[in-house]
Amino acid sequence: MSDMQGVLTQNEPQSELTLPVLPLKSNVLFPQLMMPLVVGRETSVAAVEAALSTEDKTIIVVTQKVASTEEPGYADIYTVGTLAVIKKMDRTDEYVQLIVQGTQRVKVLDVVQQEPYLQVTARPLEAPSDTGAEVEALHRTVLDAAGNIMEMLKPQARAGLTHVISEVKDPLNQVYLLASMLTLDVEKEQALLAADTRAEALQLMHKYLTHEAQVLELRQQITSQVQSEMSREQREYLLRQQMRAIQDELGEQSPEQADVVELRKKIDEAELPEYVQKEAERELGRLERLPSASPDYQVTRTHLELVAELPWTKSTDDILDLKRARQVLDEDHYDLKEIKERIIEHLAVLKLNPEAKAPIICFVGPPGVGKTSLGKSIARSLGRHFERMSLGGMHDEAELRGHRRTYIGAMPGRIIQAIRRSGVRNPLLMLDEVDKLGRDFRGDPASALLEILDPAQNFEFRDNYLDMPFDLSKVFFITTANSLETVPRPLLDRMEVLQLSGYSDEEKANIARQYLIPRQMKETGLNAERITIPDESLRMVIRRYTREAGVRELERTLGRLCRKVATRFAEGNEEPVTVAPDDLPDLLGRGRFFEEDARRNLEPGVAAGLAYTQVGGEVLYVEAVLLPESKELTLTGQLGGVMKESATAARSYIRSHADELGIDEERLKSGAHIHVPAGATPKDGPSAGVTMATALASLYSDHPARSDTAMTGEITLSGLVLPVGGIKEKVLAAHRAGLRRLILPKQNEEDLRELPDHVRESLEFVFAERIDDVLTAAIPEVELKAATV
Amino acid sequence: MARKIHNLLESLLASRPERCHEACFQPSVDVYRGQQGWLLKFDLAGVRIEDVQINLQGRRLTVRGVRRDWCIVEGQQAYSMEISYNRFDRTVELPIDLVQAHVASEYRDGMLLVRISQGGTSS
Repeated sequence: MSDMQGVLTQNEPQSELTLPVLPLKSNVLFPQLMMPLVVGRETSVAAVEAALSTEDKTIIVVTQKVASTEEPGYADIYTVGTLAVIKKMDRTDEYVQLIVQGTQRVKVLDVVQQEPYLQVTARPLEAPSDTGAEVEALHRTVLDAAGNIMEMLKPQARAGLTHVISEVKDPLNQVYLLASMLTLDVEKEQALLAADTRAEALQLMHKYLTHEAQVLELRQQITSQVQSEMSREQREYLLRQQMRAIQDELGEQSPEQADVVELRKKIDEAELPEYVQKEAERELGRLERLPSASPDYQVTRTHLELVAELPWTKSTDDILDLKRARQVLDEDHYDLKEIKERIIEHLAVLKLNPEAKAPIICFVGPPGVGKTSLGKSIARSLGRHFERMSLGGMHDEAELRGHRRTYIGAMPGRIIQAIRRSGVRNPLLMLDEVDKLGRDFRGDPASALLEILDPAQNFEFRDNYLDMPFDLSKVFFITTANSLETVPRPLLDRMEVLQLSGYSDEEKANIARQYLIPRQMKETGLNAERITIPDESLRMVIRRYTREAGVRELERTLGRLCRKVATRFAEGNEEPVTVAPDDLPDLLGRGRFFEEDARRNLEPGVAAGLAYTQVGGEVLYVEAVLLPESKELTLTGQLGGVMKESATAARSYIRSHADELGIDEERLKSGAHIHVPAGATPKDGPSAGVTMATALASLYSDHPARSDTAMTGEITLSGLVLPVGGIKEKVLAAHRAGLRRLILPKQNEEDLRELPDHVRESLEFVFAERIDDVLTAAIPEVELKAATV
Repeated sequence: MARKIHNLLESLLASRPERCHEACFQPSVDVYRGQQGWLLKFDLAGVRIEDVQINLQGRRLTVRGVRRDWCIVEGQQAYSMEISYNRFDRTVELPIDLVQAHVASEYRDGMLLVRISQGGTSS
């Protein structure tokens, strides 16, 4: 043995060594252990080559303090390293592969050279060999802890490992072996290498093992959690698969599955846009997982059904044949030249620019003039689907826009429902009675309409229930209203207003002849051979049995007439029936209205005025009497503020111009009472100004006004006559009532062009610029006086 | 980690159970048994005979020493290396008491031959 020592000391003096250094980046080489290394750094390769050209092939392996340092100097390496022998070496093009075996710990003392490789002087360190009870105890604890960790890591390998570790007798070497097995940080491994006593090394090792055990335990917990989740899902999946297999075998499908399958089919067929498809897929997935008993199941299902049924991409091609459109409109409606022209214009625009936004049209007019049916024939002429909904009395915004799905019984809004019914994304949607929208604490449907009718917004209309944007920009909206007064301004602003006024008797007769009578005959099973309605009878029906701006009542009355005749045929009569005017009382009962609306003779203080109501024009008489005991002006007949004021203005004018009018001073001192029948109907507006002035002038001058003359117009205190609205309606009413002379404001002369020729020709018009013109035209005696004054 | 352990196990189990204390390589040995006794051939090429030491203790025979690379040419770089250098240590256990036996060694052509004849006196 002493010889052996001699051999060893002979060439490797224990005192100090000068050797090349191989710096490791992220590893620590322990004595007694082998380590494969890949060397790539130029300086390290040079160091290895230098070591290999020595007899002993020894090199010092030291760990760098920072892994990223490329050319470490003395300050960059730990001072405790390992003396190692290079066992094997092999080169490739880029790097050198090594197997080194540690032999002994060394203390690096100084750097001898940095280039071409790092060389240092080092002093070998004695292997610690302290013993005692503490070391023994620590040793056993470490072995225990190591055993536990080994078991956690790889239960089946425990026996082998324990064997291997127990083979290594020296506790320190066991520590080194364990350290190389565990994935410890470089700092920890280096601390172990630097430990100068066994006790210190064992203590460190124990600390590390405890930490590792905790980490491992946590990791295992996480893994087992993940696994248990996985296995639950797998189990469910398997069970479902089995259930499906059983159902397939039995040839049946669970109802829910059938639902889902059917829905999927529908959705696949529906050609949804991408964003809708994605959303629908998501919901379908959810539906599949939901038990059918869950309340969400039905909600999701009905929602998906809606999504599948909505025409996201389906649309009809517009028929943009103007000649055909004209023909269709003429087939369905009499006259209405202006309206039809406007519609043809829109079609022409659509023809030239198919991308043009569909117009939003508002038909305004009295009931029964054909607003809704005009919409229908526009749809027919365009070849679009027609859908209508009434907004009358709607007062909840949610009715238009739908309820959110979270509510029980939630439904899509009326707009989306109408689109769904129509089955295309470009129907003609008629919104009736837009002037009768309500509004209360639940919201304002008119505001929701603003969005729907705005082409800048409605291309992504979002229904609360549907919860996906739907493009309404291709929808042709038509709204109808009886009057524009109650339509909110912003809403009116979005629509193009087309006025439909009432029909004259002549027009009604034509409409009846062309449309109503054939339709009623068809419905009652009569034909032209069995029933004849001469013109005189038709005119009588129009005048004595109906009074309206439209033709609805007329159609009903004609229907009643036809039914009466049909009854006769059903009772066995074979003779063709001609309905003479004299037969009408028998068939329809006594006439409800009298042609002699116009009063034959007027008392002084009575004048015929013209009013405009929602059901058309009307003749109304302003009556005034003197109140000798009073100086006041009393007004009755449900008059509104404007009308009261114009009555006061009329009286003031008459009083101040009493002289010119030849009015007796005494009479002028008396007060007056003005009454406008019928007393139950509220009236307002300035257009009765001239009528009241005429009535007062007639009263104070004690001269009656002409009974064949009716008038309208607003007056000012200085005696000007201002234009008023609804001239066509008023003239038609006067014509109906049998009045043949009309006094109108000069500036309304243009409006007469809207009148049918036959009406215009049968009337005499007086156009007034000043109140004097009115009075002279209305009261013959005043005319004389004024001329003389 | 598991692979690291596996690799370590492999390398550890591959080494002989009679490991040396220090880190050193173990030369291969063939053991023959004959009428005259035992013949042990150690594969120790390139080892100078003065760097080898044979030790007997009970039934164990230990060969220790150092193999130094004496064939280093100036200006040549190692390209690949497989031969183990530096210290070696090999112990063989035989079913006889070696202290009583006659042991003779001979080094020839890179082989260390150790002859052990029973019943004789030790040399």
